[in-house]
Amino acid sequence: MMSNIMRESHIMKIHYLTALIAVGFVIIHIMVRVTQGFANSLEFESVIANYKSIPYAIVLEAMLILISVHGFNGLRIILLELKQGNAYENAVTYGCLVAMIALIAYGSRTIIMASMGMVEA
Amino acid sequence: MEKDRKEGIKGMANPGRYGIERVAYWLMRITGLGLLFYFIGHIYETSNLLDGKAAWNSMLELTQTTEGHIFLTLVIGMCVFHTGNGIRLMIGQAGFGLGKPSRADYPYTPKSLNMKGKLCIYVSIGLAALAMMYGLGVMYDV
Repeated sequence: MMSNIMRESHIMKIHYLTALIAVGFVIIHIMVRVTQGFANSLEFESVIANYKSIPYAIVLEAMLILISVHGFNGLRIILLELKQGNAYENAVTYGCLVAMIALIAYGSRTIIMASMGMVEA
Repeated sequence: MEKDRKEGIKGMANPGRYGIERVAYWLMRITGLGLLFYFIGHIYETSNLLDGKAAWNSMLELTQTTEGHIFLTLVIGMCVFHTGNGIRLMIGQAGFGLGKPSRADYPYTPKSLNMKGKLCIYVSIGLAALAMMYGLGVMYDV
């Protein structure tokens, strides 16, 4: 069980910290869209240019990790509220952990490939 | 309380009981799940960028409809409420705004469920509504 590896109180601190930092990054992400003009900022060339900017790519990667950790831990908390038991809790905890890693890997692939210009013409 | 136990999980889940705090409890979970599903969809949506301009534009067209704008407006509302109410919960768990401990007298109203907390919930809902209106304005170029 996750609580064998890490105390629930520590997990909650991580949950709150990821939320607070993610809010800051999401504000930056939205401000970039709004200041460029919402429709213009979503043009293909504009989005690719965003990814090619290393500081912005770092913001995107940080957001991906923070929101994934926060989101899947939130899902774990909701599922553990509904039902308890060793086997169930292990399945929920490890299931959420695997889903979180898969989502981070898939999102990171997009960020890395787009920032390196590995995009189909 | 006895009635709650007899009702099982339905009694615990009833949003019409225990006031706005129970409504906030449900909204927090519903918005959290909604945002997680949106986030997964957003990661998939942006991955279309790698397939070139045509794939990106066709994916983008889905969000440039009235239904797409309504969906994004709901996402904005969920995001703002979840943030506002989340900050309220963090402050509460840190021990602030819970009221001073006192002798438990009838009708045993919990000190922690006070007007400060209720006000924060209403402010979160109000901010979410304002952000949704602003978002609609940006999307429709008003």
